Amino acid sequence: MSTSLDAMPAARRGSMKSLFRLLPYARPFLWNFIGVLVLVAIYNATNVLQPYLVKIAIDRDISGHHPNLHGVYLIAAVYAGIVLVGLAANYAQIQLLQYSGQSIIRAIRLDLFTHIERQSMAFFDRNAIGRLVTNVSNDTETVSQFFTQFFLSMVRDGLAIVMIVVAMFELDGRIASYAMLIIPVIALISLGFRSALRRAYQTTRSRLSNIVAFLAENLAGMRIIQVFHQEPRQNRAFNQLNESHRQANVHEYTVSVMFNRVLELLGNVAVAGVVWVGGGAVLHKVILFGTLYAFISYIQRFFQPINAITQQWNTLQSSMVAAERIGRVLSVVPAIQDAPHPVEVQGAESVQGRVEFNHVTFGYSADAPVLKDISFLVEPGQFIGFVGATGAGKSSVMSLLARFYEPQDGTITLDRINVQDYRQTDLHQLVGLVQQEVNLFTGSVADNIRLFRTDIDDAWVVESAKTVGAHEIIERLPDGYQTRLYAKGTNLSMGERQLISFARIVCLNPRVLILDEATANLDSQTEALVQRGLQAVAENRTTLVIAHRLSTVRHADRIIVLDKGRIVEQGNHAALMETDGLYRKLVEKSGIELEPSVI
Amino acid sequence: MGRAIDDPNKLLKDFIWSKKWIYTAGILSILVSELIMVQFPNILGQFTNTLSQGQLTMHGVVVYSFKLALVGVLYVILYGVGQMTNGRTGRQFEYLLRRRLFAHWETLSTAYFRGRSIGDLLNHAMSDVQTVRESLSGGMNMMSNAVFLLASTLFMTFRTVSVTLTLVSMIPILFVPLFVVWMGPKVRGASRQVQEALSDMAELTEESLSAVRLVKATANESIEAKRFERRVDAIVSKQMHLFRRSALFQSLIPLMGSISFVIALGYGGYLTLIGDIKLGGFVAFTLYLGMLTTPLQQIGFVINNFQRASASLVRLKTLLLEAPDIVDPEHPVELGTVHGAIRIDLPEYHYPDGDHAALQNISLHVNPGETVGIVGRTASGKTTLVNLLLRIFDPPSGTIFLDGVDICELRLAALREAIAYVPQDGFLFSTTVGENISFGREDATSHEIAEAARYACMYDEIQEFPNKFNTVIGERGVALSGGQKQRTAIARAFLKDAPVLVLDDSLSAVDMNTEKTILSHLRDLRQDKTTLIIAHRLSAVRHADQILVLDDGQPIEHGTHDELVAAGGVYAEMYAMQQETEEVTA
Repeated sequence: MSTSLDAMPAARRGSMKSLFRLLPYARPFLWNFIGVLVLVAIYNATNVLQPYLVKIAIDRDISGHHPNLHGVYLIAAVYAGIVLVGLAANYAQIQLLQYSGQSIIRAIRLDLFTHIERQSMAFFDRNAIGRLVTNVSNDTETVSQFFTQFFLSMVRDGLAIVMIVVAMFELDGRIASYAMLIIPVIALISLGFRSALRRAYQTTRSRLSNIVAFLAENLAGMRIIQVFHQEPRQNRAFNQLNESHRQANVHEYTVSVMFNRVLELLGNVAVAGVVWVGGGAVLHKVILFGTLYAFISYIQRFFQPINAITQQWNTLQSSMVAAERIGRVLSVVPAIQDAPHPVEVQGAESVQGRVEFNHVTFGYSADAPVLKDISFLVEPGQFIGFVGATGAGKSSVMSLLARFYEPQDGTITLDRINVQDYRQTDLHQLVGLVQQEVNLFTGSVADNIRLFRTDIDDAWVVESAKTVGAHEIIERLPDGYQTRLYAKGTNLSMGERQLISFARIVCLNPRVLILDEATANLDSQTEALVQRGLQAVAENRTTLVIAHRLSTVRHADRIIVLDKGRIVEQGNHAALMETDGLYRKLVEKSGIELEPSVI
Repeated sequence: MGRAIDDPNKLLKDFIWSKKWIYTAGILSILVSELIMVQFPNILGQFTNTLSQGQLTMHGVVVYSFKLALVGVLYVILYGVGQMTNGRTGRQFEYLLRRRLFAHWETLSTAYFRGRSIGDLLNHAMSDVQTVRESLSGGMNMMSNAVFLLASTLFMTFRTVSVTLTLVSMIPILFVPLFVVWMGPKVRGASRQVQEALSDMAELTEESLSAVRLVKATANESIEAKRFERRVDAIVSKQMHLFRRSALFQSLIPLMGSISFVIALGYGGYLTLIGDIKLGGFVAFTLYLGMLTTPLQQIGFVINNFQRASASLVRLKTLLLEAPDIVDPEHPVELGTVHGAIRIDLPEYHYPDGDHAALQNISLHVNPGETVGIVGRTASGKTTLVNLLLRIFDPPSGTIFLDGVDICELRLAALREAIAYVPQDGFLFSTTVGENISFGREDATSHEIAEAARYACMYDEIQEFPNKFNTVIGERGVALSGGQKQRTAIARAFLKDAPVLVLDDSLSAVDMNTEKTILSHLRDLRQDKTTLIIAHRLSAVRHADQILVLDDGQPIEHGTHDELVAAGGVYAEMYAMQQETEEVTA
């Protein structure tokens, strides 16, 4: 049952295999990639042709034996032409490749998201939300670099190197072989500096994030610093971090400047070398001057692609790691699956809402049962209260009914059909849940009530809000039903949030309602509103309430008292008060006369 | 802390002035490097001319290549030196600016921080400062590089090649900086939109997964998937928008360079053929053109960079010019030994940003050595009262007195030295547990630290940490439970051993038995010292000398535990309720 992604055995470095596993996503774009290949080849060819054209102009038309002005103009025109063709090819290539890359990532993201959503609650208990969000947003972004950067560089820069080499050998084999000496030198220098740069960069990054972390913490705790009068001390601590970041930053800068300077130095020396070797060749009439000119241009163009390719090692590494992390999520099979032949629900109205627990035993891990041999029956339309201390197992009962978890033993039925035999979507349409904590989504109040469903119209939303008494409150908001809410830092009070969640459940109209009463302190006015709302919601449906105030369940058809995972008492308020049990003790301890409940 | 010089503009000027010789050296070495670099095409041109005149010998070839190599080496070294100098100095300023920022923030009050998001402040400290640094180091380099290179190239081509050829073929390339200035912000805008779309998606993912129970319970998975899909589609379209712009940007700049080159090829070829310029001049000129595209592009970048940096400077200026609102009085009263008598006579208090009274008609007289309990529902004003006592927010003058002196007349340091405070959330720093306990007293011995931990019932648990008192806590170390945090914060306050101790609901996550032990330590340790205990759980205030019950900012009951229980009011009701749950949860 271990579904923690971090607990899975896997190499941290990632492997080519993990990337290959994502290849099916790229298959539909095979032709696009071939198109990219062709466009890159065109672009590179136009680039390599440019010095060659100038060479022809110099050798044939300008310094040749038959100076020819028309020839020069023609070459200039052709030059302009191939530049345009090259740019067009490049532009098209960028669009085509990026579109393919983005589409692949889009598909991976959609699959990831739906896959994560399909997981059972146990999965979410074990995996932090932040980590999953990183999978969906950052890891996918990193994988996309494999297509848009690594693949592109291999094709474009690789092809560029090949074409330049071919062009040089085409011009003159001997000088070209000399020029080849430069390739390993550039590659070695790039690789050497690359790893030094990466280390320097990582040090700077981590020291920078130290500063960020320190600032975030100290700004949040500035009150404490001031109250304890420790400003000078924290100031010193900050400047230590600040200084160590500065040093790392200067070091990183130094390495990167050195790297660029060395490459440039090498470029200049290479040109001087070509002049030496090529000059001699011109002198001995082995080659024409234009050829030398072309060589100088080619040697200068050599650096960029070699350097670029050495950069791709990092990209490959990080995309493999990201692909590995994505692969791990995708490989988790949802623990709770629909039955192979689920029952067909003939309209929600046909479901009566009879709920039965039959000798149910359950624990979040098998060796620590939270519920022990629980059996009870709820007839359609009944209002049942669950009472017991924190940890008595009230919430677990509800989670099992909604099939968020599977019991280790026993069965749970809705209308005499095992909940495992329903399609999960059907079951969740039938069994509604109102939680203690109200989740709000970024969007309008209306959308929060209808949960973004397009098949629920505004009239029904308003109707639902009226039913629970939220209508007036919503109308008073700045934009009424269109007021935008935010998931965090929300602009509603606790009571208002509670009422929205009631309206939500009325809107969805389930046959069985599970309600986990909010514990937070509400002011008495809101409290009364919430109680009235609750009453409206409970009407016409089977309702199971986890009560935190005894007054809520006083008029329940039946109260089920749980203690340490077992049902210790059942009955209505009057009956339970007559037996000398836990419920009566609870009521008496509370010491206050129960006010006549609103229910 | 010298307030007058906190204006970042002045800071920048002073800084540059103090580094004027370093900057002069840096810029000078870039200037010289460019003057050397422009010889490179010139030498190649001379080489070509000697060659085409048939006067070149093998010795000449060697000399020319050595000249080229020498120019190359000298340029790289000199330019590198200039680049390094400016880069290092810029980073020095970055350091300085952040240092000033933090020191400034330390003087600002909670009211200031409450009105701003920490994310925004961090943004200023990180990106704004970095933007300023970039224009100071990279910008300075690029600008001097571009300007000097352009000037020396023009000089060389005018002198050694042809004025008309230069003027005619340079026209397209001169549009490069204009183009960058025009297009750069558009590309950046598009890229910001991509970032926004990405964070939109991340936010939705977080929102949706945090509510996964609800999503499942309402069979809403497919709806959520559609919402997610819309965000993902927005990313794709924003990305493509960005790529269209950036591809255009990346294509048009080389295009302008190429047009210049085509002109040079056609017109230069013509001039060479009619003998106006020599072949060497033609060759050199094409090479000069190649050298210019990058610097011209840089001019555009730098202009954009300077614009952003000046916007950042304005933001930093606003930040640094914010005057601290809670400060020492001009003529502070010195207290000497503090006994811990507190008198509060507060008719009304509004938060600076609040429109209704957070506290009303508060009257509380505490003798040295007394323990006071303050209870009430969430948001009833308990914490506000403590905030005023500590001057985390400023009370109206003449309403709160310590040992008979208005606390507004005391130095802030003196007031806060006199009070040890345990915050509600048990706020701790991500340092070692020992450092956290001795936070108020850097000079504390390890024995004292251990004692304080013992009194706070935290000692045994710390002993079980991997490095005992040297264990780092928080995100990067051992994660403490809510109760452990509170107890560590209590130890921190015990160690400070101040005349007044304030516990702001700081036992809420501590279990009953431990609470009892801590409270009994408290009574032993603080027999003649004043203690204020704010609590939700009434067991924490039961033995207090007086208990104040607040509701909606008003005092509704006041007395000892027994008196209040006997009175049968709100306190009695709360007490009865809590006893019930105590029994049930025990």
